[in-house]
Amino acid sequence: MSLVRALHAELLKLKRTLAFRVVFVLPLLIALLQFLVILRTRNYAPGFNLWQTHPTNSFQIWAVFMMPLLIALVTALLNGIEHSDKQWKHLFALPVPRPAVYFAKLVVAQGLILMSTLVLAVFTVIVGIAGTYLRLGLVNAGPVPYVWIAKQAAFVWLASWLIIAIHTWISMRWAGFPIALGAGIGGTFFALFAASASLGKYYPWLLPMNIFVNGRFEMALMLGIGGGIVAAVLGCFEFTRRDVI
Amino acid sequence: MTNNYLIETRGLTRRFGSQLAVDELNLLVPAAGVYGFLGPNGAGKTTAIRMLLGLIRPNAGEVRLFGESLNGNQQLLMRRVGALVEAPSLYPHLTGRENLEVTRRLLGSDRNLIGLALATVKLTKDADRRVREYSLGMRQRLGLALALLNKPDLLILDEPTNGLDPAGIHEMRDLIRRLPEEFGVTVFLSSHLLGEVEQIATHIGIIHEGQLLFQGALVELQSKQQMRLIVGVKQVHEATEFLVNTGWSVQRCVDDLLSVSTKAPDDAMRINKLLVDRGVDVFHLAVSQQSLENIFLNLTNGTGRSE
Repeated sequence: MSLVRALHAELLKLKRTLAFRVVFVLPLLIALLQFLVILRTRNYAPGFNLWQTHPTNSFQIWAVFMMPLLIALVTALLNGIEHSDKQWKHLFALPVPRPAVYFAKLVVAQGLILMSTLVLAVFTVIVGIAGTYLRLGLVNAGPVPYVWIAKQAAFVWLASWLIIAIHTWISMRWAGFPIALGAGIGGTFFALFAASASLGKYYPWLLPMNIFVNGRFEMALMLGIGGGIVAAVLGCFEFTRRDVI
Repeated sequence: MTNNYLIETRGLTRRFGSQLAVDELNLLVPAAGVYGFLGPNGAGKTTAIRMLLGLIRPNAGEVRLFGESLNGNQQLLMRRVGALVEAPSLYPHLTGRENLEVTRRLLGSDRNLIGLALATVKLTKDADRRVREYSLGMRQRLGLALALLNKPDLLILDEPTNGLDPAGIHEMRDLIRRLPEEFGVTVFLSSHLLGEVEQIATHIGIIHEGQLLFQGALVELQSKQQMRLIVGVKQVHEATEFLVNTGWSVQRCVDDLLSVSTKAPDDAMRINKLLVDRGVDVFHLAVSQQSLENIFLNLTNGTGRSE
């Protein structure tokens, strides 16, 4: 009940912030990029099916670069509004359990990332359909795999829970965009190295990408969701026990 | 409920590293009225207040609110407490009304309370402007409205007039003074300015370096005021010697003015008579009362300040 109330309060706090614009703009950037790629590709082999490559490409760029960036931005924004005027001291002096405040933040962050991933799915479909009309070589693309695209969106999102939980804790624990953003950029940057290491497949920032890697799908999904829940509980445990100075 | 104290702390202690911020604090805040929690900056007021609100945990000791231990009952007890700690915590991108609505949603309380709180702090007219555009005084009043939103029985205010201009201070003071009467709320308020508290408080607690130096009714503190008698005499040396010999504490002020510690206003008559009978020429006689501000400074400085 307190969680529902806290969620209700969180939504009002987002009014007039950039949150909803960011959720829309980042997928749009990928869609534009993909659109240009489809238009500029010189030749398509006869019988080439756009739907077998284009949605996967979209989601992979999303999983590796844009989504981690979005997570860093969204969590920093959600918690930045609490750091700016030291709202924690007000929030935590209210008769509201601290974990309710913590999990409301987490759930809103997850919600915004899901929303953004779904926006990407919609853009991907639109760009694909536009491509089949604009490029003569793509007439054989066949029907749009709506269900498959929706599923990939859901899987990528679930695999990102661990990153969201880590970022939620970091941005609550430390005030200021630089730390939150630094963690996001660092996390994404080291993914490049982790990708070639043997244990790299377990690296949190690679989990969403691993959804598309043969033999890693189940691990990525389990670790993303399970790790996300564990990290959220640990983060909540640490943060809600802190002195509010 | 075992007693009438809304706030009671027992041996409340908090360290930051090796520094003792609050040292075995025993606060007793009676119901009704305004309790002024006084101390210089850095005396431990804010730390103590944060412990009262459960924001930080004590190293030792206990906080009791409404006769019950805060430990384990925080959710329940905080329903009856409103707080404004230091600068108000506001969302500048939201309007005044929306700021109150955020807290209202968290508390799950009645919608009507928002209008009521706004009216109490006289912000109804500006309620739909963004807090970004508010003056410091308006922000402070909105902070007070947030604290009052849930109709608390106990209001805890940490330096509520800090940083305000004289008009803002006046407005805030009037507002706080009205609260106990109009809403039946007990106010616990901290300040580093005695003059500030003197005008609204019924009870005073003075804290310095984490320790409580005085606690009691304001009148009790006032009775501690020392009086001095300033006597102007022609024969300075003779008069000084004579008064010291008869048991008075005498200090030379300037030239031919002496300062004599006295206890009652009647002492002026007695000293005058003594001196005149002795043949000393008295040309000036004035009773000077030490201000509360000086008592406060004396208590917190450890050293007396001569007048």
